This record gives sequence, structure tokens and C-alpha cells, in this order.
Amino acid sequence: MTHEVSSVPALRADRLGKRYGHTWGLRDCTFEVPPGSIVGLVGPNGAGKTTLLALTVGLLAPTEGQVALFGEQSRAQDAATLARVSYLAQDHPLYRGFTVADMFRFGRSLNPSWDAALAEARVAELDIPLKRKVKSLSGGQQAQVALTMALAKRAPLLLLDEPVASLDPLARLDFMRDVVAASAESGLTVLVASHVIAELERLCDWLLVLNGGRLQLTGAVDDLVAGHAVLTVPRDAANGALPGRVIERTDSDRHSTVLVAVPPAAAAAAIAAPPPGWAAEPAGFEQLVLAYLRRPQVATVAAGARGKAAA
Amino acid sequence: MIWVTWRQHRPQAMTALGALVVVAVYALVLGRWTRSTFDSDAIGACLARSGGAGCGAAITSFLHDVQGGAGMPLNLVLLVIPGLLGATVGAPLLGQELERGTWQLAWTQTVPRTRWLVAKLGLIIAGLVVYGAAVTAVVSWSLSPLDQISIRTQPPQFVGEGVALTCSLLCAFGLALFAGLLLRNTIGAMVAGYVAWELCVGIALLVTGPLQPFSVTKTIPCAGAACAAASTNSVPPVTGNLGDLVNSVTQVGDHLVVNYVPASTFWPLQFVVGGIFLAIGLAAAGAAVWLLRRRTT
Repeated sequence: MTHEVSSVPALRADRLGKRYGHTWGLRDCTFEVPPGSIVGLVGPNGAGKTTLLALTVGLLAPTEGQVALFGEQSRAQDAATLARVSYLAQDHPLYRGFTVADMFRFGRSLNPSWDAALAEARVAELDIPLKRKVKSLSGGQQAQVALTMALAKRAPLLLLDEPVASLDPLARLDFMRDVVAASAESGLTVLVASHVIAELERLCDWLLVLNGGRLQLTGAVDDLVAGHAVLTVPRDAANGALPGRVIERTDSDRHSTVLVAVPPAAAAAAIAAPPPGWAAEPAGFEQLVLAYLRRPQVATVAAGARGKAAA
Repeated sequence: MIWVTWRQHRPQAMTALGALVVVAVYALVLGRWTRSTFDSDAIGACLARSGGAGCGAAITSFLHDVQGGAGMPLNLVLLVIPGLLGATVGAPLLGQELERGTWQLAWTQTVPRTRWLVAKLGLIIAGLVVYGAAVTAVVSWSLSPLDQISIRTQPPQFVGEGVALTCSLLCAFGLALFAGLLLRNTIGAMVAGYVAWELCVGIALLVTGPLQPFSVTKTIPCAGAACAAASTNSVPPVTGNLGDLVNSVTQVGDHLVVNYVPASTFWPLQFVVGGIFLAIGLAAAGAAVWLLRRRTT
């Protein structure tokens, strides 16, 4: 199933909010994700990542606003919504007493679009025997079986919640490589929630940063990186004298290191020819994300995002 | 859904079939023994001759043998097994999915969760009804010699025959299912479901005992020594019908005022008790469906 890059976003949230009792798990979330992208979803624990994923797949219903998949509104308890999205939950839950073949039959029974050939080919390639019980598989193999089930559902959007948290470094690499390959092959849009920012850097071309239940930063990774710069300036340089908006400033004895959000052209100019006594370099992806995560009070900056994500 | 339900509940189905085999073997042995004792005590012949009068000693001896001896475990089985089995099947249905996180897998396939639950409930309840009917048939066969001479409105017959056993099984199932949703834990739900079921059994025993809705009072003429000798536990009872349960006998002049539960109330009482079990079980299962549907908010 291929999805042409069209103007209809794969995922669009519109003032999406979810309240648990008196506290908001997620609030006022507005963004769009283009089809075919691999989106990193980043945020500290409790930032609302799992809530956003659950709202998208319809496990939860929003308190306010809405989320739409490929132009169709997501609804809780709705087969059409469920058919549009595959969800791989944290710790990749599977029935431990089932064999791999049982798991696939489970998938076939509950999904009209189930791709049995894909599922079987994939585990054969991974040397996972169909007759093995899930509980006798390694953590990496279990994650792969769960991913296989998510892919064989043949939904155009794949949600992964901390998919590699319990895997060793080699299994992580394999898993992420397979996600990228699947996305490339079938035009799948993927949303990956993860704490491992270095991993996301390799994987993602789009970023969503949630912090304290609010959307803090979203856009194409390249645009975001190009729209930030790291300046090294004399310690007495005032923030007002710096180009762009100061996201994070670290003062040392004589110098200050400042991450600023600036228009890409200005960032490129500053890096090419910094003012005397200053140094300027491109912002690293991880550095950029961590700077935002450390500063939840920094309001939404929608670099590269189209439309309504204004502060 | 049929395959999914079967595959997920295969272990419980096997346990239940195992229990059925054990109960059936036991009931077979008990049934043969009651039949041979029934014959050797010549109760059948006595009943045919007199309709019960004069057979008191033989009947008392027979019932004493059956209920005090080989029949004892049956009482235990009937007061424990439906709860254990119902709770074993009901508790993991939601409890284990929630405990192990597999609900996130089960409810994100293309079948919405309410439909998933209702389909499973339909299949499992049908299975439990067939199972309950099978156990009831086996137990009824084994106890049938007693039915002619003893009080069917009391345990063990009352809980092992008719519809009571099947309804009680469904009651335990519904309660454990609901407990699983609340507790998100299989073992906890099994215990909670079982304990709640025992409370329902308590209600059922009250209904068949002190709160009997169908007892009637009637006045029987008597004469002389017969009046004085009349008691609640004579065999055959003062009402003349072997299946009647006499609650109280009061002598008023040359009459006896007898309060008793007629044997014919077996079926009405079955429907009352079965109805209580069924209503509680279905209410619990319905509450689980409703809560599951609402949980998205």
C-alpha cells in the first residue's frame, strides 16, 4: 500500500486536549504530520506522549479538540479508526502462552486487512520459528514479532510507544532499521515515542516535542536544525544583543554558550561570518531537543510547521 | 472471534473438562451405589406397596447412609465447584489482559473493544450453559433415587438439579469478570469473584431456608396418640408426601396446623434461586461491558 504525498496530513491534531480528573494530560495540541514521514515524539515522563498515542488510536476519547488520520476524524470504539492505525504499545505486549503462529492467527481473526504472507515472510527472515511460544523468545524477538503484527495489519499509520526501551543495543539497531525499511517500502507514516534521542536522530525526519502536556516544538528535523544556532559569546553580551530568540544560555567564567532560534538564513549567515569575538556553529539535534526539554516554560516554537501552531 | 476466544480460554476449558470428568466418575459411582442401596433396602417395593407409609425406617436408614457417607463430598462439590470454575473462567477475561498489558494489543486490532467483549461473553456464556447442563444431568442421574423419597427443595438436590447449578456458574463468572476489570489482576479477581459468589450462595440458602417464599400452612385432622406423636421430622412427614419439607407442626385440639414447603415448589423455587444467581451474574457482566465502553473518557 503506497500513499502518495498529498496535501492531506497523515496526522492532524486540532486543539487536542485530554483531562484526567482535574489535571490535563494533554492540552491545546495543534500540529500536522505529512504522510510518509517518520516522526519522533519526545518528552519527559508524564509529558503526554502515551496520551497522544492513545487518542490517535482511539483507546481514549479527547476531552476537547480532535485528531484526524488522513483527513478522517479518530473516534474511540470505532472500527474504521482502528483500521487506519497500528499501535505497538510499550513493552510490546503479546500473549505469552501463544505460539508465533497463534499470534498471527489472532491478528488474522481480528483484522480484515491482515497480510499473512508479510507476517510469515518477516519472521522467516528473522529466523523466528512459527511454532515457538512467545514466552520462550528473547526480548528482541518478541519486539520483532510485535512489530511484525503491527506491520501485517497493513494500516497506513504506525504508532510505536518506546519500542526499544527493553532491548539491547544490537536489537535496538535492528528494530529501528526495520522500521525505516518498512516505512520506505510501503510509504508508511511512523510515529515513534522515545527517550533515546540519539536513536531518533538517525531515524526521524519530523519532530514533536511534548512538555508538561503541551506541544513545545514541532516541524521537519532539517528545518528545526537549520533554524537554530549555538553561539559562543563574551559573558557580558546581553540576550537582547543576540540574534533570534534565546532558548538556553549557559554562562561560564568568560564566555556564554547560547542556543538561539533564528530564521535559517540568519543562522547560516551567523555561522558563516560570526561577529568579532563570537563563535557560531550549527545546533546539534540532540543538543536542541535537550535544551527544549530542560526548559518547559519556553513556549511553542513551530519552526518549519505550517499553519496554526502559533504560540 | 471464535478461534480467539477458544485459544485464549483453552486452559480454563481443559480445567473445566477435567473437573467434569472427575464429577462424572464420582457421580457414576455414587449413582450405582445409591441404586443398589435403594434396592437392597427394598425401598422401591415398600413405596410401591404403601406410597411411603410404613417405609419410614428404611428411608431414614437409606438417607442416613447416602447423606452421611458417600453423598457428603457431593454437597461440598456443589457448594464450591461452580464458584471456583466460574471465577476461573471469568477472572482472566479482563483481569489478565489488564494485568499483562495485552489489552493494548487486543483493543487496537480492527475490532472495537465493546464488540470484542460482547463476542467473547456470548461464546463463553454459551459454553458455560452447555457445561452447566452437562454437570446437572450427571448429578441429577446420580441423585435420582433420592428424588423419590427425599426433600428436593433442599441441598444437595436443590443446588445440583434443575437450573440452579448453571445459573450459579454464570453468577460466579460474571462477578469474577467484573472484579477483573476493577482489580486489573487475575488472582485478585478470582478471589474477589469467588467470595462475592459465596455471598450469593448465602442468599440462595436463605431463600431455600428461613426466607422460603413458598411455604404453606394447612390443617390436618388427627386423633389421639397420633396428634401427640406428630413432629417436624417424621418419615413420611405428617403431610403424607415424602417430598414435603415440614417447618412446624402445632397441635390445636384434634387438628395439626402444619407449616411446610410442598415438594411441588421445587421448580418455582429453582426459578427464583436461579433467577437471583442469573440476575446478579448478568448485572455484573453488563456493568463490565458498560464500564469498558466508558473507560475512554
